[in-house]
Amino acid sequence: MMIAAMAHWKKIGIILGLTFIALYPLVHGDTYVMHIFILFFIWAVVASNWNLLMGYAGIFSLGNIGYFAIGAYASGILCKAFGWSPWVCILMGGLASMVCVTLFVGLPALRLSGIYIALLSLIFADSLPTILTQTRSITGGAMGLHDIPPLFEGITRLQSYYINFALFLVMLTIIYRTIHSSTGLAFVALRDSRSFAKALGVNEYKEKIKVFALVSLLTGITGGFYVHYLGDISPTTLAIEPFLLAIAMMEMGGIGRFPGAVLGAVIIVFGNEFLRLAGTLRLALLGALICAIILFFPGGLMQFIDWIDLRLTRLKARRAISS
Amino acid sequence: MTRFNPPALEIQDVDSFYGELQVLRKASLRLQQREVVVLFGPNGHGKSTLLKAIAGIHPAAAGSIRYLGEEISRTPSAQIVEMGVAYIPEARNLFTDMTVGENLRLGAYNRRARSQVAQNLAYVFDLFPRLAERRDQIAATLSGGESRMLAVGRGLMSGAALLLIDEPSIGLSPIMKRAVFGAIAKIKSARDIAVLMVEQEVEHPLRLADRVYLLKKGRVILEKPAAEINKAEIEQAYF
Amino acid sequence: MNIKEIINTLVSGLISGSLYAIMALGLTIIYGVIHVFNFGHGIVAVLGGYFTWLFLTKLGLGLIPSILLALVFMFFFGLLLFKATINPLLKTPNWEFSTIIFLLGMGILLENLALQAFGPRVKHIPAFFEGSLKIGFVRVNWHEISLIGIVLVFILILNFFLKKTWFGQAMRAVAQDMDGARIVGISITRIFGYAFAMATMVTGFSGILLGTKYYMTPHIGWDWMVKGFVIVVLGGLGSATGAVYAAFIMGIAEALATLYLGSLWVWPIWFLIFVTILLLRPQGLAGGRTL
Repeated sequence: MMIAAMAHWKKIGIILGLTFIALYPLVHGDTYVMHIFILFFIWAVVASNWNLLMGYAGIFSLGNIGYFAIGAYASGILCKAFGWSPWVCILMGGLASMVCVTLFVGLPALRLSGIYIALLSLIFADSLPTILTQTRSITGGAMGLHDIPPLFEGITRLQSYYINFALFLVMLTIIYRTIHSSTGLAFVALRDSRSFAKALGVNEYKEKIKVFALVSLLTGITGGFYVHYLGDISPTTLAIEPFLLAIAMMEMGGIGRFPGAVLGAVIIVFGNEFLRLAGTLRLALLGALICAIILFFPGGLMQFIDWIDLRLTRLKARRAISS
Repeated sequence: MTRFNPPALEIQDVDSFYGELQVLRKASLRLQQREVVVLFGPNGHGKSTLLKAIAGIHPAAAGSIRYLGEEISRTPSAQIVEMGVAYIPEARNLFTDMTVGENLRLGAYNRRARSQVAQNLAYVFDLFPRLAERRDQIAATLSGGESRMLAVGRGLMSGAALLLIDEPSIGLSPIMKRAVFGAIAKIKSARDIAVLMVEQEVEHPLRLADRVYLLKKGRVILEKPAAEINKAEIEQAYF
Repeated sequence: MNIKEIINTLVSGLISGSLYAIMALGLTIIYGVIHVFNFGHGIVAVLGGYFTWLFLTKLGLGLIPSILLALVFMFFFGLLLFKATINPLLKTPNWEFSTIIFLLGMGILLENLALQAFGPRVKHIPAFFEGSLKIGFVRVNWHEISLIGIVLVFILILNFFLKKTWFGQAMRAVAQDMDGARIVGISITRIFGYAFAMATMVTGFSGILLGTKYYMTPHIGWDWMVKGFVIVVLGGLGSATGAVYAAFIMGIAEALATLYLGSLWVWPIWFLIFVTILLLRPQGLAGGRTL
């Protein structure tokens, strides 16, 4: 019985974790903790999308915070300027992000490799603050946008919590399905043997564009949810900190491993709250954390989970032999 | 020195892998000083891998490699060069954005050879007058035969006592082949040097060789003085 | 637009171009030899400037001794960083990715440590020479002339080092064919280590020069780094000659953009040139030539 439970410890862990998240507001319901949970939902989705693009598809994109910001800004602007329903605006924001990213990063990236994509995407995201400050009448410039309407009038923290939890579940399901779809398999094949994959009829260009479009759409939509939850956004979203946090989440969880970024997001989002005690040294500590993970735990938490898994399997085998 | 007059090269039970794929299986051979030995064998059966193991470019997984009695199977490649082993790869690995002269000078990078650059350069230019003509030309612009000459010349610049040459004739025209093998014959007669050459083609090398080995599926399957073997016998063993 | 303005613009373009050139060379050396892209490039430049400032104001050394001491510091800092971190990372299967993320993390760590140590206020390194030179209607500071001179001399020395010394030749050899370099007896790790140290020193030097012309804050490194990225891509990754030409082109383009369009447009112009070169000629101006 014990051993049978151990074999499924990962599934049990996921179920327990999700149950805890689902029940937390009902049992305890501290509004500050709920706020941190909402940030966790959003960042876990951003980091998982990034991981899909970088870890699975092997596309060296460094601009995902930019894709997020485009979705957030577009949704906020549309909602304020035209008074449309935030739900429509969020979808439009996602589409805006998809179009911009696919056009300016995805298409050029088809001809480029490795480091060039990294530079292009980084400079793409890096040029957004300049564009924002020069289009003050629309985007609010350096001050940013304020009083962005919430998802609906009179929304409570509890409602936001469950809406973003639903977003988290839906997004992760889409990412999981993508990884296990023909597109996901195509990237595994391309990574293992480029020539063999091509011989099998994998169209590298098509798959790359597909994954770019999907990731930017999902990241942009997440940006929309973020902006309507917080109510304001400014170019500081594009500063180094969110970028660093997302990278740390991926590294912490394990690059190229599916729930990895989610695990990383748990630790980084909650850990970041404690790091606030460190004051101005917080960013230095985050940088040091990233360096330490790469040097000493390159596989991240997922590797640790694999290690436990291996131990348990061995234990089970030994028990089976002795009985 | 462990012995009074140790062999130039003594290889025993060398294993080598590329990932999971085992390429050499307990390969063994031996070269006396000043001896020219040719290693024949079909493509992809481990000939080049053996040379790379000796040169320390792709170190052997197991077994012993002794050069002049000294174990070198775990020695870094830079030190092996310094001890007097020069490897001339089939891929040539020239410095394509440098001139012919610069390539040759870099052949004498190891500390022992640096003092003899001028002398060795003269020797190489004497051996390959074509390289002297093209001294200031960028290596990328050389023809196939010329870049083969440059690869051999660069190897000679290191002042080596053991030369490992990987398929010097591959992809060359008959005239170029004759020029390259002619140079190797000259090296043999004039220099105090042992040569281990890997080849596909049989005729020219057989005339140069003192002894031949045959390598198949990662094992040495035959060893004979060159005088006691003929082309047909070698080619037969390929299949 | 009159001729006076255009000539003044060209001169100021030359000055910033020469500073960009030396900055981009540090990036190029590391990429050319080790094939690692230094995402910590900006903070390395800033550190060079801050060390000089520290020795100058806190130790009371003269300007030249401060600069020399800072360069020695940067060299050993680079060597240590390589041996302790980059070299082990290069042996991992995912090295291309992990070195970049590592250097990014390292850059942010150092940037914030510098912020902690030196504060956010703007700092300057004093000019080498006072006064200015007037030829006709063109007025140039002696300091700026000395900057161009220093950079040109530096490029000549670097060129001599790469072409005429055993060590420089070995660096070029590693850049052009790593197996070939091994074959002639070059120890790759050793060359990597010294190339990284040297590039760190060169980058630090560029930070010092930039600190005399403009200003330094712990965060300014990111702007310098992104400019460095554009320049090395324009010149062709890993090509020293290409980087120098590209730096002067960008310096002049920047000055012209400021003159005709206004300084708000400088950054979009950098981005536009970057995207255009990536789309039309990703191998850069020098067309894939190596160090």
